[in-house]
Amino acid sequence: MLDAPARTRFARNRSALAGAAVVALLVAFALVGPLLASHGALESDFARGVAPDAMPVGPSAAFPLGADRIFRDVFARLAVAGRLSLLVAVSATLIASAIGAFVGIVAGYYEGTRQHLPWPAAVGLVGALGAVASGCTRLAIGALIAGTTASLLRRFGGPRLDVDGLLMRTVDVMLAFPFLLLVMAIGAALDRTSAVTLFVILGATGWMGIARVLRARTMQVRSLDYVAASRALGQPPGSVMFKHVLPNVAGPLIVSATVLVAQMIVADSVLSYLGLGIAPPTPTWGRMLFEGQDYYSTAPWLVAAPATAILLAVWGFNMLGEGLRDAIDPHEA
Amino acid sequence: MRSILTKPDTPGPSLALCALVLLGAPLGCDTTLPFPVASAHSEDSPPRRGGTLHLATYGDLRSGIDPASGTDQSLGPIHLVFAGLVDYDGSARVVPDLADHWAVDDGGRTYRFVLRVGVIMHDGAELTADDVKRSAERALHPSTPDPNASYFANIAGYEAYAAGRADHLAGVVVEGRYVVAFHLAKPDSTFPYLLAMHTLRPTCRSAGDRYSDAWLACGAGPFELPPSGWRRGTSLRLVRHPGYFRPGEPYLDAVEWTFNMKALAQRVRFERGELDLARELTDGDTARFMADARWRPLGTVEADTSIYGESMNTRMAPFDNLEIRRAVAAAIDREHLRMVQPSRMSVLTQALPKALWDDPSFAGQGYDYPAALQHMKKAGYPFDPVTGTGGWTEPIEYLLFDQGLDVYTAQLVQQDLAKVGLRLRLHLVSYSAFLTLQERADASAMSQGNWMLDYPDPSSIFDPLFTTEAIASEGSFNTAFYSNPRFDELAARAHLEADAAVRRALYREANAILCDQAPWAFTFGHHNFDVRQAYVHGFAPHPVGPLDVSGVWLDRAGEALERALGGGLR
Repeated sequence: MLDAPARTRFARNRSALAGAAVVALLVAFALVGPLLASHGALESDFARGVAPDAMPVGPSAAFPLGADRIFRDVFARLAVAGRLSLLVAVSATLIASAIGAFVGIVAGYYEGTRQHLPWPAAVGLVGALGAVASGCTRLAIGALIAGTTASLLRRFGGPRLDVDGLLMRTVDVMLAFPFLLLVMAIGAALDRTSAVTLFVILGATGWMGIARVLRARTMQVRSLDYVAASRALGQPPGSVMFKHVLPNVAGPLIVSATVLVAQMIVADSVLSYLGLGIAPPTPTWGRMLFEGQDYYSTAPWLVAAPATAILLAVWGFNMLGEGLRDAIDPHEA
Repeated sequence: MRSILTKPDTPGPSLALCALVLLGAPLGCDTTLPFPVASAHSEDSPPRRGGTLHLATYGDLRSGIDPASGTDQSLGPIHLVFAGLVDYDGSARVVPDLADHWAVDDGGRTYRFVLRVGVIMHDGAELTADDVKRSAERALHPSTPDPNASYFANIAGYEAYAAGRADHLAGVVVEGRYVVAFHLAKPDSTFPYLLAMHTLRPTCRSAGDRYSDAWLACGAGPFELPPSGWRRGTSLRLVRHPGYFRPGEPYLDAVEWTFNMKALAQRVRFERGELDLARELTDGDTARFMADARWRPLGTVEADTSIYGESMNTRMAPFDNLEIRRAVAAAIDREHLRMVQPSRMSVLTQALPKALWDDPSFAGQGYDYPAALQHMKKAGYPFDPVTGTGGWTEPIEYLLFDQGLDVYTAQLVQQDLAKVGLRLRLHLVSYSAFLTLQERADASAMSQGNWMLDYPDPSSIFDPLFTTEAIASEGSFNTAFYSNPRFDELAARAHLEADAAVRRALYREANAILCDQAPWAFTFGHHNFDVRQAYVHGFAPHPVGPLDVSGVWLDRAGEALERALGGGLR
């Protein structure tokens, strides 16, 4: 993915290095911060956290980033929230990348042709979606029966479908919904939100951009000689896509995924800010920002800390992604 | 009625904008308060007529401007548009308003009101006893969405009328053009308080016999609603009622509200002199105004009119165990809860707000950690604080909604109860879901209970929250589903008792039962803080909470110049 020239280009890109450094620092802060804090993230300190005017204390030795409105350590909460935000964002990105890569490569591979559907893959996808969607076994069974029937039909020359058109119109429909609105609607519909439900929602609704990028790249790769040779030798389409196409689109996939992490951090923060994220007392950056906004004039650290963390994280991942793109594909820079 | 710890916290700005704005604050934005806008004359000068009072609120008039349906933010405008037969004086005593006087007959079963003669309503018609009866029947009709209708169930014939079996409310009788009598099924010494509420305030004939939200509010209050005065969701403008029955009043030409304005925006506009009076400041801003010697004299700390507590469902485990409820009541450090909003909260250790019950000799609940551990032991669930073992092993679901300060107090309660072996799991839901679940018998083990006085009497707390009669399988205000025959008996006897000292003794025993049996762990009372510009005079807080500006007058320095410039200074 990153050959020697690409590594050199990356090392010469100051923005990319700064982005990588910020991301590394944030990860380190999230991992080590709670251990360095003098207070637990959930623990109020009424002895040292209260200023004489009954407001939370500002930054001090005991509270490096001040105390929040119920006198908890903002530093400890920021670090714990960082763990959660990074976990949710990275997990959601992995899910989105997997779905986006699958859809993009399949669509790009079959672009311009009408094919019998790759039934085993389609049935697997529908079955998985059916299982995710409220664990409805009837839907999964129905999809299985439909897939099996279609496979039998295929043997007798069943219908051919424009796979690319079907997948890309699905992408268009999903892109037509504002991403955050869609995520908020799903979040609001859930009775409880956990880290798992959060990254599944974000991942399941955030893959379309990656699918489009990889479709375009796959369309380039599929016409390369060695891919054509593999097909001519009778290698099954799935094998060609996995063994020959995927490694050649990995670069754009990594770049898109890195930028997507930043979007996921924002989405996670927005959900928390709107009260649709993980319930208190677990800290999240968005929730901390929401809780602090009314106090920006009297206790500005309550908003400055999470706002800075969100800004740095988004900036860092964006710079890192841009740098990777420039390094991997200098012609697009 | 229910109250929310008001904090205008509905999310608004985008994260990016918020981050940019908020990051600016620590980088040197000026947070010094400006000088109050001065008054042209001294405080003790006679009231002056004229001017428009500008107010704002984070909310909206969702329940309309109708005494039959109004709640929350609607109560302030309703109070100005609709006068009642009685109202409160400055000492929270019930005094005649539209009524000239009243008499109690039939052993406390009949309240007979003689109306003032010549009271002109906003439509120009004279107020008569027929208007009083029609308005009462309109408000209490089963088709009216009146949240307070059950308060009037003691009026004779209410049951048949509310069930749709009678066309008229038999207990309200017109005895002459200006005489109306309320006949009660049983004596009730709190009835004048009920009439001081907004529910039965007379409406104009244009209101009709039945409720409709398309009606233009029209009553006999000091201000009237012009045809285009209410822009739903945006603003409300009330203008002086020229025929108001108190000569020379009101002093203001108009009162204007702007709706859906966040607390920060309200503070900024108040500081600029664009708002004349502010009530909904954030706690941080409240502290700033109270700490500033220039503004402190212009602030009004009202009496506690709300109670808050941890409501424990006595029909669900583990709170069907009395000792566990007592452990909760003893484990919560109320002083810590008060620190969440110190300028508006006060520690509460019994069932009544301080405005009603300020008796230091009364031993209620209180923070006592060793006692809490003892109660857990007696309950059969001993907890060892050193090892953190024992206690109630299952997590206890705590229902709350994401608005106001509940989220913060709930987290402190969660910390306190963990120290005695009760582990809460916070279940955050929308406000509507919160109400539905909290008021259902088997839905939530614990939640934050709150209640705002509808009238200044203990029965306003005891009857709806703790009597057996208030229990329902759905929509139960008795969210602890608490039932105690002795408590019910005391509450009922207090209603019948006319002697104030005897009533107080009955309420004292009832209060003691609640503190001991702990269907709620009473935690804090809540009051409003109002701050006004120096030129705003005559403001007096209402005894039970709604913003009452009926006596306000303005005397703004430089107003003559402002008028000459066409309002350019504002």
